[in-house]
Amino acid sequence: MSLLRVKNKYALLATILILAVLGSIPYMTDSRSTLIFFSQIFIFAVFAMSYDLLLGYTGIISFGHAMFFGLGAYITGICLREGERDLVTVGLAVLLVIGICTVISIIVGSMTLRLQSHYFAMLTLAIAGLVQVGAEKWRSLTHGNDGFTFRIPLEFMDRETFFWLSLSFLVLTYILLQKFIQTPVGKVLQAVRDNEKRASALGYQVLFYKVVASVLAGVFAGLAGVLYALQLRFVSTSVLGVDLTMNVLLMTIIGGVGTLIGPIIGAFLVESAHDGLSNLSEIHWIFERWLILFGLVYILVVLFFPKGIIGTIQQMRMKRISKAAQSKPPIQKEQASWNTQI
Amino acid sequence: MDLWINLILNGLSTGFLLFLLAVGLSFIFGLMHVLNFAHGGIFAWGAYMGIWTYSKTGSFGLGVLAAIVIGAVLGWLLERWLIRPIYSNHMQQILLTLGVMIVLGELIKVFWGPNQLSAQPPSFLQGSWSWGDVVVIKYRLLIILTGILVFTCAQIILKHTKVGLIVRAGVENPEMVQALGIQIRRVFTIVFMVGAGLAGLAGVLMGPYSGVIYAEMGMEYAIFAFIVVVIGGMGSIPGTLVAALLVGVTSGLMSYFVPDLALAVNMMIMFLVLIVKPEGLFQVKGVSQ
Repeated sequence: MSLLRVKNKYALLATILILAVLGSIPYMTDSRSTLIFFSQIFIFAVFAMSYDLLLGYTGIISFGHAMFFGLGAYITGICLREGERDLVTVGLAVLLVIGICTVISIIVGSMTLRLQSHYFAMLTLAIAGLVQVGAEKWRSLTHGNDGFTFRIPLEFMDRETFFWLSLSFLVLTYILLQKFIQTPVGKVLQAVRDNEKRASALGYQVLFYKVVASVLAGVFAGLAGVLYALQLRFVSTSVLGVDLTMNVLLMTIIGGVGTLIGPIIGAFLVESAHDGLSNLSEIHWIFERWLILFGLVYILVVLFFPKGIIGTIQQMRMKRISKAAQSKPPIQKEQASWNTQI
Repeated sequence: MDLWINLILNGLSTGFLLFLLAVGLSFIFGLMHVLNFAHGGIFAWGAYMGIWTYSKTGSFGLGVLAAIVIGAVLGWLLERWLIRPIYSNHMQQILLTLGVMIVLGELIKVFWGPNQLSAQPPSFLQGSWSWGDVVVIKYRLLIILTGILVFTCAQIILKHTKVGLIVRAGVENPEMVQALGIQIRRVFTIVFMVGAGLAGLAGVLMGPYSGVIYAEMGMEYAIFAFIVVVIGGMGSIPGTLVAALLVGVTSGLMSYFVPDLALAVNMMIMFLVLIVKPEGLFQVKGVSQ
């Protein structure tokens, strides 16, 4: 027990330190682009955490997660384009996003989550593709691939305020999801991930729990989409694309599946690398195709470090602890594995 | 009436193209339970490699050959070096093959640039025959004939040769086949290569059919291929053919009458099949759902 407590103390210390560093950014720099860059990381971190709720905690691979993010962005954009430019409209958009994302995840989830993982992955890809095509066709509402700009409430105009908003959104989501995965429902989800058949044999309605996870993930992805739209003040159909799902998949996998801190780190790494590589494109055109480098890294990570950075560190630490405590009976709990057991 | 015949003929040629694309996907899943999300990427590579060779050498036959070869080579690389280490882990396979799909699409942009290329059928396949108002475009007839040929060959090989016997046994129970002393892994590799080669063939035939090729075509047509294999049932060749023709004809008719709903209607068919008969129209014994 004492080992665990020490670990938590370190984790707490590290969290405070990281938050202090992040919180001091607005005081250290006035550069708008830096603030925008970090806000973007925070937003994507929430998106990636919501994805990890599916991938890392429930063992579901969805290739259509960007659909919820895009819905959030589009609903916000359309509300602000059509309605008043004030906080009430944004509040309405948030409520709409929560409602619509919930309904869609329940409908899609209850129809598709009963299928085997292959079929589910394929179907989510197809549904997301259909939604994107639909959005491109419905030009009167979405303006298709060209997208549209809109004006946001004055309260969000200041980049520093927005930085604080997205940082608190990230922290709040982290705390909420951390609490959620420790609830009995969260524990059942992890049981489903580790061994679906056993969980089902123990009497849990696996489908119900999976739908719960997909609703929660969908809503948080939608909310991240709301902030994304507010930050960019522009939406186009690219927010619905498979590329975006791929991006968030990359963040989650590189950072570490089955942890909440992993996706945050992943979001930071991927966004920084993206930023850096795009700047390098002036030097050599290959950097314009940065997705290749990401794709290769992603493939290597999936092959050799399927647990990602955080997972690999945890694994190494577990080994050390069990080596140190060889005389005593080891108290490690079973290392979370995101492999579905068949 | 003539309009209907024309529309159905066009639908059939789309259907046979989809069959060529989807048959590998379906059969690879049936045999080794790998759903290859990179299949669409191989298809796009077939299109680019084939059209490029065709434009360089002027010989359409060489282009087709190049497409099949590049498909098979990519299939071999993928199976041997990426999928084989993780055969038992479905989740890793799904994640990995999607990554390969993205890399293949991006590599096309590196080699051939991000813009779409135009592709024309060779001169001897241009033009059409017509009887009254029924118009048969030569190139589409070629696609239909190729599809029929591939289907017939596949059926003959599967039903009447020793290799086919091994493959069919492998679909039902790979462990047992291995236990009988047959290198099932080698069979896996060969089937994977054949499936990928057919995807390459579908790609190069697709080029002149739609007139343009672009890097995103892989993902776009992969979605159609998924719809086809879900409707037809994983691992069944006749099922894939029927489903591909169904999807092809439906798209053909829909894109004439209500173009905006073409994809949506196919998705509806797929959902209907999934809800009513989730194992697909033609279930194959031994393929787990």
